[in-house]
Amino acid sequence: MAYTKAKIKDLVDGKIDRDTLHTMLSTPKDKERFQIYLEILQEQVDWDDPIILPLGPKLFIVQRLSDRKWVIRSKAGYDFCDWDQNWKLHARIRVRNTAAQMEELYPRLMAPSPDWQVIREYFCPLSGDLLDVEAPTPWYPVIHDFEPDIETFYKDWLGLAVPERA
Amino acid sequence: MPLDKSNRRVQVLGIDAGGTMTDTFFVDSDGEFVVGKAQSTPQNEALGLIASSKEGLEHWGLTLEDALGEIQTGVYSGTAMLNRVVQRKGLRCGLIVNAGMEDFHRMGRAIQAYLGFAYEDRIHLNTHYYDAPLVPRHLTRGVMERVDMSGTVVIPLREETARQAAHDLIAQDVEGIVISLLHSYRNPGHERRVRDIVLEEIAASGKTIPVFASTDYYPVRKETHRTNTTILEAYAAEPSRQTLQKITSAFKDNGSKFDFRVMATHGGTISWKAKELARTIVSGPIGGVIGAKYLGEVLGYANIACSDIGGTSFDVALITQNELTIRNDPDMARLVLSLPLVAMDSVGAGAGSFIRLDPYTKAIKLGPDSAGYRVGVCWEASGIETVTISDCHVILGYLNPDNFLGGQVKLDRQRAWNAMKEQIADPLGLSVEDAAAGVIELLDSDLRDYLRSMISGKGSTPGNFVCFSYGGAGPVHTYGYTEGLGFEDVIVPAWAAGFSAFGCAAADFEYRYDKSLDINIASDAGDELKAAQAQTLQAAWEELKERVLEEFEINGYSADRVKLQPGFRMQYRGQLNDLEIESPIGEAHSAADWDKLVEAFNDTYGRVYAASARSPELGYSVTGAIMRGTVPIPKPKIPKEELQGETPPEEAKLGTRKFYRHKTWVDAQLYRMETLQPGNRITGPAVIESDATTFVVPGGFETWLDGHRLFHLKEV
Repeated sequence: MAYTKAKIKDLVDGKIDRDTLHTMLSTPKDKERFQIYLEILQEQVDWDDPIILPLGPKLFIVQRLSDRKWVIRSKAGYDFCDWDQNWKLHARIRVRNTAAQMEELYPRLMAPSPDWQVIREYFCPLSGDLLDVEAPTPWYPVIHDFEPDIETFYKDWLGLAVPERA
Repeated sequence: MPLDKSNRRVQVLGIDAGGTMTDTFFVDSDGEFVVGKAQSTPQNEALGLIASSKEGLEHWGLTLEDALGEIQTGVYSGTAMLNRVVQRKGLRCGLIVNAGMEDFHRMGRAIQAYLGFAYEDRIHLNTHYYDAPLVPRHLTRGVMERVDMSGTVVIPLREETARQAAHDLIAQDVEGIVISLLHSYRNPGHERRVRDIVLEEIAASGKTIPVFASTDYYPVRKETHRTNTTILEAYAAEPSRQTLQKITSAFKDNGSKFDFRVMATHGGTISWKAKELARTIVSGPIGGVIGAKYLGEVLGYANIACSDIGGTSFDVALITQNELTIRNDPDMARLVLSLPLVAMDSVGAGAGSFIRLDPYTKAIKLGPDSAGYRVGVCWEASGIETVTISDCHVILGYLNPDNFLGGQVKLDRQRAWNAMKEQIADPLGLSVEDAAAGVIELLDSDLRDYLRSMISGKGSTPGNFVCFSYGGAGPVHTYGYTEGLGFEDVIVPAWAAGFSAFGCAAADFEYRYDKSLDINIASDAGDELKAAQAQTLQAAWEELKERVLEEFEINGYSADRVKLQPGFRMQYRGQLNDLEIESPIGEAHSAADWDKLVEAFNDTYGRVYAASARSPELGYSVTGAIMRGTVPIPKPKIPKEELQGETPPEEAKLGTRKFYRHKTWVDAQLYRMETLQPGNRITGPAVIESDATTFVVPGGFETWLDGHRLFHLKEV
């Protein structure tokens, strides 16, 4: 089933009506959805480099027009690293590892003990947008969340040409 | 059936205003009938009703004005109230519950988050959501009191909290106040006191606000059910009463002299003036079951499997030994309710169901959504782009594209063919015919399995049942979903499309009230204890009787004209399911009376399950008292005509049409249903057409029309 671009935009903006959402959830995904979704995301950013895959509400893998390299970029336009690297290592990081910092978020005694768990917040260096949060044990390395197989996704799942990559 | 006759006196009008079609069913003094059909007009139901009536009466060469003046009784069933509830367009109500329990209404027993969902969605948590509660949290107040499940007062009523609650709600300008306290069905004292306090406060405020205490309406256990149902009275019944009044006056403007009655969930009809109108919330599909029961009683079919296919669903109900099953806590419009409802099971598959392919597995998926009144791709004006079951019918020659609804809607076979090719046939590598036939076979086998499992779930086999098939699309599928099941007989009434409306017209004018009871007694109890239990039951009957008589009085029937039938729900102690029993005695006072009740229960239990499954050693529980009251009304007569020869008259033949089944195209003989004569026998492949329905008799089947205008279908 095909949906109009306006409907998909409502979905992205969280304004979609209940009935359409229900139908979307309980039927197989519409073929054109991903492309329409990308178009909508593209219209929401201030740069023209094509988005290849969203990683979060304000984080994308894009094809940089100047050199055709695939990079991870924030909505504000900060290029973190190559698409297959861990962008978090290039972000601004705040680690909450004291009781006082935890209690900024949770009521006392309802927060995790910092000896067992810390909260790491990753920010965009340009805009200060909070891009991701992780809550591992204190000694755990920075998590590399997602290593997408874009080639398979485009070619085999979507039947689309894989964008050029330098 | 002669269509033109002078001096025809039209007596009964039945109306079934469904989501897709509005059917009207007129019966004359000789028991002849005619069916009118028009598309529903949800914005103003009266329009569709008038259009449908005109269409029906045209067949008799009558105008609306001519006919309406003579009609003595009119029964309505429709979706007006249901729509109001679904769209949350009811009145602004306040709710008073126990302090600390203010959130239970919106929590809806958790189950209301997925009621009415297809199975796939029920297990797909992402789709679950709660509808807005009928009464929002800010119009809910708690009062301090507590009665336990045995009716004992645990916390006395703190009257000042009730006064405060009333104050708050009155100040917020509510249009109705509902009171529902825990266990008030067991001990109504506190709830009635709160009701009186609220009435005092309303009087003091100078405003007019109706008050609804659950114990005055639905004194039954399960507080979410009871509260929802009482809220419906306040929220939706009053506006619906106005809709019904509007329909009545639309008909009065056209010369009618009768007051409409409304089909209610318990299978009787009630006046639109009734105090408890919430039970008219769902009525359409029940009509057919009542019609089948009535036909069965007159013609001697005791066990009937009723099957109804409309545009959106397949509804099945079983009648065993001329008795309906009544469900006590049904759900409707995603609300759990305490209404007695004629038990019926529904599958979300009808003639309008969409057909899609799973893009990954290429499996054919039917529904759960449907095109409803918009038929399918074959009707260009509908705007439908996804193929439906009806499209398959048009492609395969089952339906006549030029005679859908008597030609009111022209269908385009080529359009359906192209869509079927693109959406289903090509991706599957099949020919369009095979794809369409495959879809039909899939649907038929789904329905067949469902019917079989329902009957075997009752511990019976199809061989013990006569299958009635009706609904606009029922007779198209009858052969398919009954094939191989071995029903005792398969019957398609010639008025299949208007069968629900017929059932409405055949329903009794009946009020029914229920009250929960907790009687428990061992099998070896002494006479004194038995007499005490009989008297508890009798007290409940007295209470319900008053309310039944009060309802009839509103309609001008004095108590002596009302036939009362007490009933009760009984089970063996410790078992989970009770049975509804018609009481063999009018009043219960003594131990001997009690024994008669127990005997009636044991008899019914043995009949419904098996004699060897009876377990009197466990003792007995009575879970509820029931009182039903009826007054006689004119009912449609069932036609009785002389049998003619087996060969259909030449003028019934309408030529042939290409018809596809089992991988071959054949020429199916077409007949006009109205012109066939009783006694005619037709061997497939044949298609019997009428304006509002199409009866398909494929090769390997034969049908015979009896003197009551019932087609009997059998495999040869």
